[in-house]
Amino acid sequence: MLEKVEKLSAQQVTTSTLIKKAKKRKEILTIVGFIAPALIVYGVYVVYSIFMTFYYSMFDWSGIDKNLVFLGLDNYIKLFQDDIFWKSLGNNSLLVITSLLTQIPLGLIMALLLFSPIRGMRFFRSIYFMPFLMSTVAIGILFIFIYDGNFGLLNGLLGAIGLESLQQAWIGNEQTAIWAVIATVCWQFAPFYMILFRAAIVGIPEELYEAADIDGAKKWQRFKNITLPLLMPIIITSSILSIIGSLKYFDLIYVMTGGGPNNSTELMATYMYRQTFTNFNMGYGSTISFSMFMIALGVTVVILLGDKRRRGEE
Amino acid sequence: MKKKLMFLLVLVSLLFVVACNSTSSGSDSEKDNTDSGQETGSSSENNSGESKGDSGADKTLTLWHIETGPSEEAINQAVERFEEKNPGVTVEVSQIENDPYKSKLSVAMGGGNPPDVFHSWGGGWLKQFVDAGQVREIGNDIDTSIYNEAALSVATFDDKVYGAPVSMDVVPVFYNKDIFAKYDLEEPETYDELLTIVETLESNRIIPFTLANQSKWTGSFYMMYLAERFGGPELFNEAFGRTGRGFDDEAYVKAAEKIQELVKMNAFPDGVNGMNYDTGQSRQLLYAEKAGMQVMGGWLLNNVRDEMPEFEDKLGFFLFPAVDGGEGKKNHVVGGVSPVFSVTKSSENPDLAAELVKELASVETAEYMSNKAGSISAVNGVEYEDPYIQKMSDVLANSEAMQTYYDQTLPPELAQVHLDTTQALFGLSMTPEEAVKKVEEKAKELLDK
Amino acid sequence: MIKRISQMPLYLLSILLLLFTGLPFFIMVNTSFKQQFEFMSSPWSLPENFSFANYALVFESSFLKYFTNSLILAVVSVVLTIVLAAMASYPLSRMKFKLNRPIFLLFTVGMMIPIHTTLIPIYILTSKIGLYDSLAGLIGPYVAFALPVSVIIFTQFMKDIPKELEESAKIDGCGHFRLFWRIIFPLLTPAVATVAIYNFIQIWNEFIFALVLTNSSETATLPLGLREFYGEFSVNVPGIMAALTLGSLPLLLVYFVAQEKIVKGLAAGSVKG
Repeated sequence: MLEKVEKLSAQQVTTSTLIKKAKKRKEILTIVGFIAPALIVYGVYVVYSIFMTFYYSMFDWSGIDKNLVFLGLDNYIKLFQDDIFWKSLGNNSLLVITSLLTQIPLGLIMALLLFSPIRGMRFFRSIYFMPFLMSTVAIGILFIFIYDGNFGLLNGLLGAIGLESLQQAWIGNEQTAIWAVIATVCWQFAPFYMILFRAAIVGIPEELYEAADIDGAKKWQRFKNITLPLLMPIIITSSILSIIGSLKYFDLIYVMTGGGPNNSTELMATYMYRQTFTNFNMGYGSTISFSMFMIALGVTVVILLGDKRRRGEE
Repeated sequence: MKKKLMFLLVLVSLLFVVACNSTSSGSDSEKDNTDSGQETGSSSENNSGESKGDSGADKTLTLWHIETGPSEEAINQAVERFEEKNPGVTVEVSQIENDPYKSKLSVAMGGGNPPDVFHSWGGGWLKQFVDAGQVREIGNDIDTSIYNEAALSVATFDDKVYGAPVSMDVVPVFYNKDIFAKYDLEEPETYDELLTIVETLESNRIIPFTLANQSKWTGSFYMMYLAERFGGPELFNEAFGRTGRGFDDEAYVKAAEKIQELVKMNAFPDGVNGMNYDTGQSRQLLYAEKAGMQVMGGWLLNNVRDEMPEFEDKLGFFLFPAVDGGEGKKNHVVGGVSPVFSVTKSSENPDLAAELVKELASVETAEYMSNKAGSISAVNGVEYEDPYIQKMSDVLANSEAMQTYYDQTLPPELAQVHLDTTQALFGLSMTPEEAVKKVEEKAKELLDK
Repeated sequence: MIKRISQMPLYLLSILLLLFTGLPFFIMVNTSFKQQFEFMSSPWSLPENFSFANYALVFESSFLKYFTNSLILAVVSVVLTIVLAAMASYPLSRMKFKLNRPIFLLFTVGMMIPIHTTLIPIYILTSKIGLYDSLAGLIGPYVAFALPVSVIIFTQFMKDIPKELEESAKIDGCGHFRLFWRIIFPLLTPAVATVAIYNFIQIWNEFIFALVLTNSSETATLPLGLREFYGEFSVNVPGIMAALTLGSLPLLLVYFVAQEKIVKGLAAGSVKG
């Protein structure tokens, strides 16, 4: 197109390219103007700390003196041979999978329920959100007592419905401890996905449903053919948030079990914390941190690429 | 034009690299000497926002501690006395919760802006900071003769004193007098008698020992006592000093076996490794009279006074009995020191800071803490008002040997292995041989240098 | 009548979920009215006599100071986060340029780094710029670490806004800046509400940065203030629960307001459609 114009008149060409250039320059200025403020704040704190984490990960450093000994990648080799790290990576994977399979469906169900014709929805809506609103300290302390083997509420409930055989000390037992804490984490975060989905469902134009109603679509079909496909992008986004959140999860484990008993609930982040602040291995702790970062980055890139292909196929 | 954006990005990232290099300049030149490393620490401190009296009369000292309740009051009073004696000097006191305190202090030390005076428990944890060149020797600034020798030893490394102790605790076996009376039990003299008590209680559906071992240091008491009872008071010193028996010595194996024997006798509550001492799960069982005994530091009484005051009447204690054929004795106690106050090397007013430590670790402070907060004084010459503390203090005075808590004495990384393996022993997920081997391996790695 | 019966399973499910999600909050409030010995002897019962002693204890401490500090921090940080993140998301979701994907990815990586190893660099940085032990020193890290999730959510929602809106506005001679604030941003209400709630809660409960970057009780936030209920080897559980119950009230308020906004956004959206 442009070339044809070019042949027409040299005069015009220069003006049009000039205009184009000016436009282009303006657009870039716009982009910079919009992004730069966030990028600067983000760069100063976040990008800088990521750099520093990588930097520290190459040293033998206690974190409390100025005596850094350069090791190159030795810490990473050590990490590969570290059983506890692999154990914690396994636990993190469990948490990732369980979170995906419970938080997102549960969040979706709760969000859909909020749109159903139930009385007192405002009340339900507030209560459903409670877990996410409670402080981790409160949740941690309460669930320690809920899972307690002697006075625990859970055992009490099991006893009340005749399931005494299932009663046990949920977080004292190495086999059940990880599930007990994972359940708590999922419980805490499901409401976040609820509000995320709710906000997305609000954005679905009503006409689509009206059209479907004319076609006499059943509720399930409405959900399957309209709601779910339109929610797919937000589901992908939620999955990424959930996966990354699970990969670097720390808080409740630290409060509830501290990674025990016998490392059975150790996560990468709690192990990193222990190495950094209990064992005074800032260098090795940073190695764990940066590895967690790389794992999360890898998983995210794979999901984004997969999503791109999916959209390409559509 | 896009290149410009790219350029911006690169520029920004470069800036960070520069920034990080400058902050760790001390390291780049690989200064092994801790003293010169320290200088970089204090120079970055000068740039920081905190106002630490530069010159003139108005000077500010910072003090970080973890005491709560009456002990915190004792600290505040000491600070007031200090400020009165030193006009123009103000002390900024920060009270921090136990666990977060450790992270906060580490970051402040690493970031080059630590407080002038800080709390510790002596032992391996304090030694980390001493080795890092962060702690000032104060042996010549304070009068070391006024302190209990055992207490002072936890802050003494290579004959140099790095901190002043205030209070001590010993660990007896607490028991419910009513329950003992009900089943006609008496305070045991030997370990076999203790086992008989365990059997009696167990057969009467009372949990013999309540224990919250998610906290780990709680279960460690059993390991320390049993190992001492088998191997004698020098066992740990030899293993730690690498001068004889090791952490895989026969005595440690036997102690580990005894722990597992107790576990198999149902001497502990179900899910003991999931229970948290701080939240009070183990004490709940004691108060509800579902459990008969608890091996715990003297501070248990403070917990009782806070949580279930009327229970105090039922609370008795005896010392962990000796084992037949073992080298240890009943009057060898496990105990520890807290708090210990030290001065950081980067303090700009080291003399004043040492004065503050003197006031914090004075007879007045120790007396107040002992009488109001129920701990034994680490400073000589304190008169006890509380008969309970008097009794505890007598126990300590009459003991022939004191074993300080492993987890505070050992270097933190080794302490962690000791705690983890002991917890695993309670969970029956590690054999005695495996457990002691793991500790010894770590000890070799960290101590044989 | 038939309709009611057909809704039975729905009600059942809703109520089950209600218990599932609401019970711990109820226990928290319930515990806050008990005395320590009461909690120790029967943790799950209703309080024998409702005692406000724990609440009195909370107000005896510097609770109001901590509360105000937390409130200032959360409000300022959340507003800043929303402005910065929404602006950055605009070109990322609606304009084509070569660095779009890399910059988006750069923004997402921030949530992958565990906080604890960043403490020392951020501590040094904060000290160097003279913001140690000030509320202002916390706003930077809070906003920066809130950006990733916020940018992801905003770009996601902005992609769904029809392009035609923009084009018609451009024809009217509306610049990008005005276009964004006048047309795009108001349509983002549900996303803004979600981002606001999420970040407000995270910042309200944040502990580790506040622990490391502040020191005096003048700058302490609510989570730090909880230390008043911890002994060296014990926790005053009812006391903590009272403080946390009070501390959750602003969150409830923010949640209500945000949810009402979403409903209003819904109404506004349907009018336009």
